Amino acid sequence: MKSKKFSLILIIILIFLSFYKISNESRFEKWSKILLCPVCQGEVIYDSPSEYASDMKDILQEQIKTGYTDEQIYNFWVTRYGERIVTDNIARNFEIILIPIAIISIFIIIFLRKINAKK
Amino acid sequence: MISSIGILTSWLLFLLLALVFITNNLLKINIYVRLIVFLNVCLFLLLEIGLFFDDFTVSYISNYSASTTPPLYKFASLWGALDGSILLWNLTLSLFMYFYLKNFKINTSNVDIKIYSSILFFFVGYTIFSSSPFAGCIEANEIGCNLSTLLPFQDLVSSQIGRGPNPLLQNHPLMAIHPPFLYIGYVGMSAPFVASVSRLVLKETSSEWVNVAQKLTFIPWLFLTIGISLGAVWSYEVLGWGGYWAWDPVENVSFIPWLLSTAFLHSAKVTKHNNSLLNWNYVLVGLMFLSTLFGTFITRSGVLISVHAFSNGTIGTYLLIGMLIFSLLFLYIGSINRRYFISSEKLKNKFGRSGFFIANNILLFSSAIVVFIGTIYPLFYETIFSRQITIGRNYFDVLVGPILLLLIFLMIFSIKLSIKNINLKKLYEDNIIFINSSLLISIIFLMLFNRSFNLVVTISISFILISLITLNIIKNFNKKGNSSYWAGQIAHLGLGVLAIGIILNFTQSFSQEIEINSFDNFIFSENNYQIYDIVQENLPEKTELKLPISNGKITKFTSLNIFNNSSQQAISSPAIFRNLIKDSYISIKSINNNTFKLIVRENFGISIIWIGLFITSTSFLPKLKLRK
Repeated sequence: MKSKKFSLILIIILIFLSFYKISNESRFEKWSKILLCPVCQGEVIYDSPSEYASDMKDILQEQIKTGYTDEQIYNFWVTRYGERIVTDNIARNFEIILIPIAIISIFIIIFLRKINAKK
Repeated sequence: MISSIGILTSWLLFLLLALVFITNNLLKINIYVRLIVFLNVCLFLLLEIGLFFDDFTVSYISNYSASTTPPLYKFASLWGALDGSILLWNLTLSLFMYFYLKNFKINTSNVDIKIYSSILFFFVGYTIFSSSPFAGCIEANEIGCNLSTLLPFQDLVSSQIGRGPNPLLQNHPLMAIHPPFLYIGYVGMSAPFVASVSRLVLKETSSEWVNVAQKLTFIPWLFLTIGISLGAVWSYEVLGWGGYWAWDPVENVSFIPWLLSTAFLHSAKVTKHNNSLLNWNYVLVGLMFLSTLFGTFITRSGVLISVHAFSNGTIGTYLLIGMLIFSLLFLYIGSINRRYFISSEKLKNKFGRSGFFIANNILLFSSAIVVFIGTIYPLFYETIFSRQITIGRNYFDVLVGPILLLLIFLMIFSIKLSIKNINLKKLYEDNIIFINSSLLISIIFLMLFNRSFNLVVTISISFILISLITLNIIKNFNKKGNSSYWAGQIAHLGLGVLAIGIILNFTQSFSQEIEINSFDNFIFSENNYQIYDIVQENLPEKTELKLPISNGKITKFTSLNIFNNSSQQAISSPAIFRNLIKDSYISIKSINNNTFKLIVRENFGISIIWIGLFITSTSFLPKLKLRK
């Protein structure tokens, strides 16, 4: 318990564990967490108990059974409801991630320069 | 009657605030402030009386309460919608003003109390000129009121039936207590703002204002923490969607002041110690207050869609003007003190206490930036491209998640931060037994779950944090440190526990939809659940369809609540079978004769999340004990 080697062994085991990924999320689950329920207030269909979301889930289930690709699913919903139906925009609108990262970088640079500034 | 008294009292209140602003006699100011608090209490009680006596000549009461509403929810209806909530807001603000006057008033000048009264003046003005909870009804519908007046002594009409509160808001007692906590948190952020700005108006040259502002920040911070926690509990226990936090705009705008005030509570310590970071603290104090105004603006003006938003035509512009005025005041006072801010000391020992607090500030402020952009980006996008876009959890999970994890990691060092640079080797060697055993326990613990990178990292870091802080508290609590150090340790302990709950919930939870008939049973996640027949209960305000479900040991109800006089959908209340590691969360989706569609969820970590939030909320205890 008191040895540094023991720490090292434990950390190696932890690293090994972190690559050992079992995902139990189905494609259906993934998409139902992405699609917004248009009649609810800001809920995805996975969370929403409404009938409307339920119907959407049925359609989605059907699409996945028929073997739609992600692209086809995306196009299907976006042509019907517009872009706002998709809540996971990171891959398609990459600026959404870039804007905050850019602002944070600027903030950090200014902040560090200011606090180290000479009198 | 109530309408006229209310409107006249509001005017009187407005007048008194103007008097505070022009008078310079401290004795008079003291009397006026007490009167202002008294009048705010009166207004609060007056609307409560109206609510309990069902005075539907008051437009607000006929639109947001009903004779059939149970007493608790009648009471809570006062803050159930925009106009009434301003009343609670003003009452809290006046109490903070009084508290400030009693304890933190500047001796040589009255400028602080004048700035304070102008903030209250602004909000009372809203109830007079824009929209008042006491507005009388001059054109009634059968249900609710159609048209109202802001003038007293008009011929008022009464609707036959009140519309009642929003169904979501009368489904659980937590609704009655979670907003007041948040309001105290929001409104309280005005106190450090006033304290700093007014001291800098007088060109203060010491860093005493930071000290005062820090003392004044802890209470609102605590209430904000409790308010956000209760909101999460409410969301999970009542709303039936199985989650506790949705990155909904209203949640976000309560999180932004929390992040900023947490940052300030840390950075103020750096300033107190070595007179550095003066300008930065001023920025934080200002943004803390302005972000609460911004939050109110964003959620009350109808520019965003959210579960919580109640829109109203005029308040948006009104709040924008307020934000502009107070921002200009803040900037102006900042600019006249440029010289003072430049006198800020340079930072020493980058790997000492100050360095860690700076890292903490960078991370907390970055999260605030991320949350802010995530909240308003859809608005910009729509304005520029005329198309709508939704920013979902993914954005926040990807950006905020790692930042918060880094913070949890930094908290480990909080057990022993000296002014000098930290000695990592010594810290490690002193605690090697506990670090090793935490890692070992993490490995065993992780074997029970579906593992991924974020789970493994979060669990190991949190376990180390929890074990080291617990050890620190047991060993040293009575020996050393001041109250705010121990408040911090308890808050960090709670956040470590919270992190475990959140990551378990995030990585492990799953759900399934089940279609079933009465008296059937189903198996979900190795448990056998038995369904009985639906029970219908007719209450004055709603019809409740309750479905008994048993897991073999206990029987719980999941129900659909259909509210009278409401166009909204039925609200589903979950049956929750609790467990430390995971809950089974069952809610009704739809009922068709004797066939039920159920959503069954296995929610991990919820109890752990509640425990973590509870521990963080008790961080004020050392302050009570060590006050002497």
